[in-house]
Amino acid sequence: MREGLAALALVFVPISLLSFGGSNAVIADIEHQTVAVHHWMTGREFADFFALTRAAPGPGSMLTALIGWKVAGLPGAAVATVGYYLPAAVLVYALARLWGRWRGRPWHDAIERGLAPVAAGLLLSAGIAILRASPGGWPIWAAAFAATALLLRWPKLPPTALIAAGGALFGIAAALVQ
Amino acid sequence: MTEAAKSPPTVFALFLAMLRLGCTAFGGSSAGWLYRDIVLKRGWIDNATFLQILSVGQALPGANGVKATVQIGQHLHGGIGAAAALLGLLAGPFAIILVVGAAYRGIGEHPLVQAILDGMAAAAIGLTFDTGLRSAWNGAPGIPALAVTAATVVCIGILRWPMAPVVLVLAPLSVALAWRGRRNA
Repeated sequence: MREGLAALALVFVPISLLSFGGSNAVIADIEHQTVAVHHWMTGREFADFFALTRAAPGPGSMLTALIGWKVAGLPGAAVATVGYYLPAAVLVYALARLWGRWRGRPWHDAIERGLAPVAAGLLLSAGIAILRASPGGWPIWAAAFAATALLLRWPKLPPTALIAAGGALFGIAAALVQ
Repeated sequence: MTEAAKSPPTVFALFLAMLRLGCTAFGGSSAGWLYRDIVLKRGWIDNATFLQILSVGQALPGANGVKATVQIGQHLHGGIGAAAALLGLLAGPFAIILVVGAAYRGIGEHPLVQAILDGMAAAAIGLTFDTGLRSAWNGAPGIPALAVTAATVVCIGILRWPMAPVVLVLAPLSVALAWRGRRNA
């Protein structure tokens, strides 16, 4: 139990400090660590956890809480959540005012513009990682690309409605096939 | 909201407001939820301060809603405010996701449930791709930036290298490219 908690903290604290681009940008690494490195869950479970956390309320992602819970119950959920949210929160608390004061300096601008393409690459990697983790096969790939195309065409589509529609579509298809 | 902000809330009121927001903010864009509630409805933070809070968060790690929440709490009540706001924001979703997880443990193996979860995952992956593509196009256009994005995708998405070393190499490189691009412009 104690080993599990320590391992959770060791996984999530570094991820917290590298989460440029927000919660979704670090999902590829979370998947890699939890499925391939630590064998805490199967790819199927990871993809399911991802779907559940994206449909549930809350800022960012409670994916970390579910992973911690799976590894070590309630203490695991608490350690993973604190490990994931607290370091970045402390950093923001310490640096926010200083950073605002530096606004307009050339290097300040270069850092913001330099981090953006890395964050974009991390987000795209996150989508790829979940597609590879999921055993759902080509229907998931096709539906994911269709959803992407819909969103690029109609950016105002409400995320929750899209996720509900995806679930309904696959549920109906499965019921018809059976 | 150009007039002086209304009287600041107590720490407990701040906690309750964030608790409510955390439980009701579905579907990403927590910045929008925070803006409507904290700025427009309650008037605790003025417009200019909120925009500054959002822009400051861009270059720091962390979930956007969490970064904004910490700064809102900090602005209103210092360290205690930041802690109360963050705790309020996360407590509700934390409890809810554990209930969802327990339900999943009971019925997650059912084929119909698995099919539904597959469809939900596909839509959520689409949301992630959409955000990634938009930030690649809107964030910092140009060949060097696109090359950095592509390199990140190859290293992490395709080769599945660990994120820390890749980001620790590519991020400084990308900042250096942005710096050079600026001087040449």
